[in-house]
Amino acid sequence: MSLTHLNTRGEAHMVDVADKPESRREATASGHIQMKPETLALLSEGGLPKGDVLATARIAGIQAAKRTHELIPLCHALALSKVSVDFNLDEQNSRVEVVATCRLNGRTGVEMEALTAVSVACLTLYDMCKAVDKDMEIGGIHLDAKQGGKSGDYRRQEGPVAAPIVTGEGAAGQVSVGSRCDIDSACVRVKFLAELRERLGVSDITVPLDSLPSTDVGGLKSVLVKRDPRFAQLSEGRVLCAVNQVMALDATPITNDDEVAFFPPVTGG
Amino acid sequence: MIRVQEAPFDAGVEQQRLLAGRSDIGAVVSFTGLVRDFNERPDITALTLEHYPGMTEVALGEIVTQAEARWPLQGVRVIHRVGRLTPGDPIVLVVVASAHRRAAFEACDFIMDYLKTRAPFWKKEHSITGDYWVAERESDYRDASRWESENDEIP
Repeated sequence: MSLTHLNTRGEAHMVDVADKPESRREATASGHIQMKPETLALLSEGGLPKGDVLATARIAGIQAAKRTHELIPLCHALALSKVSVDFNLDEQNSRVEVVATCRLNGRTGVEMEALTAVSVACLTLYDMCKAVDKDMEIGGIHLDAKQGGKSGDYRRQEGPVAAPIVTGEGAAGQVSVGSRCDIDSACVRVKFLAELRERLGVSDITVPLDSLPSTDVGGLKSVLVKRDPRFAQLSEGRVLCAVNQVMALDATPITNDDEVAFFPPVTGG
Repeated sequence: MIRVQEAPFDAGVEQQRLLAGRSDIGAVVSFTGLVRDFNERPDITALTLEHYPGMTEVALGEIVTQAEARWPLQGVRVIHRVGRLTPGDPIVLVVVASAHRRAAFEACDFIMDYLKTRAPFWKKEHSITGDYWVAERESDYRDASRWESENDEIP
């Protein structure tokens, strides 16, 4: 993966698209402008001093898409075959969502045009409403999808929402499904939860049962420390342990396929 | 009834459900815990609640069973939220119904004290000056120990 707008000397240059085949290109981008509920109400009733806000913002977005090459230095001037700008008044989140789609048959992608349309439509919404609300905030501008071209189709994956949570390679917002042992011999599955997971930088590991000097929690701890001295933390301070989701002590026995979790003192409620 | 969920809850609706069709209940006590905008640091913008699915439900179930063994209860509801919450959001709901108020008050207090020290939930607070995991509190353990006698199991 390289940056196509840089040449071999690292200088900015415009990509020569003369030899690229023409294909049907389409891109959709979206963003939003957050505002006070009162402002949104005025906007939907047409009660704002500058008049029809959405119609103006739509024209602004379309005009901006056509002039993207004047704003973004290395963009080509494109003969767009279609630009649409749509608005969705989201009362629940008190904001206007802006979606723009650009299309052409040509040699370059149109995602910059769609992103520019969204940006300028949002700016125009700000301009049209600023008399009554200066706290508005523009955000979340991103490419949703693009089709056509050499790099192929793209569709944005929604990131994991911060949600119920246990482990998952240290990332918050992940639930790790209790995986089976990933090795053939007898083993234990070890999980590290919450702050301990972040401190150790690991959420799940599998330990062969026959590597334990004694088949109990204490034996597991000692084999972990041998693997990495940082696991000495498991015996320091207040680190709790559960075997198959039941609170356990160092002397608690472990058998094949047990799930052993280490975690800090609980802080719910 | 025990629920661990991301969605908000309505304490009024939950209490009505607990009482629906019952005329033997003489007292109902409801506790709702909320996200504060100050805790270890003054400017908390959000918190993320993590839990240990499976163990959480079992732990809450055991706490409710213990409460039912100590007091004559006619219904208990515990709802705990997980995920990202912002100040003012409800986190936890405990509704306890009994024939008499004393049992309902005490059982509700007991369930919250045990929940805070025994159910596998962890809070990470997000503040303007950074994120951090909330530390356990001595006072929570003192509160929980009020209910302990010699023959109780201590984790």
